[in-house]
Amino acid sequence: MITRKDPTAVARDKPPRGFWGEAWGRFRRMPLAMAALLFVCFLAVVALFAPAIAGTKPVVCRYKGSIYVPCLAYFNRDWEPVVFATDKFRGEYPQNLRDKDPESWAIWPLVFQDPYRAVRADEWPGLPANPTHENGRPNSRNLFGTNQEGIDVFAKMVHGTLVALLVGFVSMGIAATIGITLGAIAGYFGGVVDMAISRVTEVVMCIPTLILILALLAIVEKPTIWKMMAVLGFTGWTGISRLMRAEFLRLRSAEFVTAARALGAGPGRIIFRHVLPNALAPVVVPITFGIAAAILTESGLSFLGFGQPPPSASWGSLLNNARSNLQMWWLVFFPGTAIFLTVLAFNLIGEGLQKATDPRLREARK
Amino acid sequence: MIHYLLRRLALGLVTLLLITFLVYALIRAIPGTPLTAAVAQTDPSRRLNPADLERMNAAYGLDKPWYQAYFLWLSNVARGDLGRSISRKAPVTQLIGERIGPTLALSGSSLLLAWALAIPLGLYTAARSGKPDERAVNLVLYMLYSVPTFVAALALQITFSIWSEGKLWELPLFGMTSGEAHETTIAWLADVGWHSILPLACMTYGGLAWDARFINTNLQEVLRQDYIRTARAKGAGSFRVLGHHAFRNTLIPVVTLLGLSLPALLGGSVIIEQIFTWPGMGRLFFESLRERDYPTIMGLTLVFSLLTLAGQLLADILYALVDPRVSLE
Repeated sequence: MITRKDPTAVARDKPPRGFWGEAWGRFRRMPLAMAALLFVCFLAVVALFAPAIAGTKPVVCRYKGSIYVPCLAYFNRDWEPVVFATDKFRGEYPQNLRDKDPESWAIWPLVFQDPYRAVRADEWPGLPANPTHENGRPNSRNLFGTNQEGIDVFAKMVHGTLVALLVGFVSMGIAATIGITLGAIAGYFGGVVDMAISRVTEVVMCIPTLILILALLAIVEKPTIWKMMAVLGFTGWTGISRLMRAEFLRLRSAEFVTAARALGAGPGRIIFRHVLPNALAPVVVPITFGIAAAILTESGLSFLGFGQPPPSASWGSLLNNARSNLQMWWLVFFPGTAIFLTVLAFNLIGEGLQKATDPRLREARK
Repeated sequence: MIHYLLRRLALGLVTLLLITFLVYALIRAIPGTPLTAAVAQTDPSRRLNPADLERMNAAYGLDKPWYQAYFLWLSNVARGDLGRSISRKAPVTQLIGERIGPTLALSGSSLLLAWALAIPLGLYTAARSGKPDERAVNLVLYMLYSVPTFVAALALQITFSIWSEGKLWELPLFGMTSGEAHETTIAWLADVGWHSILPLACMTYGGLAWDARFINTNLQEVLRQDYIRTARAKGAGSFRVLGHHAFRNTLIPVVTLLGLSLPALLGGSVIIEQIFTWPGMGRLFFESLRERDYPTIMGLTLVFSLLTLAGQLLADILYALVDPRVSLE
């Protein structure tokens, strides 16, 4: 976006904002990138409050004189209060709460549907059982329809948001750590170290990614979502490493590095305190694109049936359900749109960051 | 030139050795062997007794540690023998030979189609830079690039096979042919072409969007150069400026991308082949991974890596061909 600077803004004496402040100022003026950032924030909110949006466990409830938060069990099964297990609730709260403690009260999620099982008839007073197979068209009770087993697609998608975001951020976090460290070491030390690391990078780059990922997933046998993130992280660092190496090669002979060395700084201090902050800008963009790619790969693997075994809330596993019955278009449309929008958002943010941080593009726009 | 080629080939050989070594170590670390994995799928009563298992393990060289087995495999490959598939009881060369045609046909035509459409689109968007129609086209391209292939594949299958049943434009859901005998080669080709429309579309749109945007960005950079202004000033028409003066100077990064898109294309074909049950190498890879068929997996890895390295080498050679400043010496 080309915006003319407000002349009064220049006149006012502002303290210099630094590189990232400047970049943020430019990023903020790109409507598409900002919309994408807002969308990702929205996804994060949905992911965090998923158990309060859709679930069959109360958000907060009072039972036999104490207050409980049973909905946290959706994040970690061990967080389910023990009293409900000893009182044999078996995951069905509404009826049990009323029967076993008439004094109890509960605040329920917005939508009474479970992402891991089909809701039975009258589990919630007046709510019929979820339809299965082709009868599970989107309707007022199941906004996005149900899958073959009658599990609500909306609930699955709300809970799958956390999976998608976690996969993106955690696997790219692993990849960025490996890539930045290896690239920095190769670029800073050069010589034999550089040769060895560059060769390894090249080999990992040349193995077709899918072969590498599938082989690694087969080795870990039961692939949980965390193992999947590790595998994606350990295979996705090559591009970052190469960029980082190039930046370090450029910067290691810069004057400020010589100055730091003259002051007696060791290699660790020079790499992390002096060079790294200056070399970070170019890798931020591939990291953002990498998040999109990781979300894409995870849903692709779940779609092919190589993901976490059921019950899993991954968006890709819904698409996998659709494969066995293409009549159920809602199993493609809703998760497909969600994956598409998320990937698009991260790509737009990446593009915005590129425009905001690349000095070459900035010069060109003058 | 020959000196450079030899050096590159030697380097490529080292990379190939490292790749195959790594992949061999990986697949031998996967739980289950070809013998146990195949039996697990059939009924348990046919499970081999321990003595037979031992005998067959020895026959296929599975009793050796993996690094010994790797060097055995390597020495066989050096003599041109990729081994025999354990689960399919056929030579690996024959299996890959059957499957390489469909894969290359699909990815090759997808590559051609993508570039044939991307170049005019890139030129068009660069020429109309800043106008509303350019922004619309660019936005559509951008969105296309973010659509996952498997979502697009399912959406196309639903639209053109399920919902169009009985209509003129109903396309086959999967497979490469309808399975009937064809009288002439032309009829067979038409059948294959009919079956390849959906997989081809799925494989092409992403690359097309990426390539068109890539050409557009490069063209815009070139269009700011002084010699473009000179060409305009001497009175060259906008078509001539774009096609003759500008586009030729964008060829260098485009050619590099061409070589580097080969591995991505092959990787993408793995998923597409699986969805449309296209009898190519990607599908064979999936099947052999499930069957733990070591010789076939290794053969396919070799072919995939060879094609990837060949793509990179091709990119470098083309690079020298289109840019007279680059010399391979």
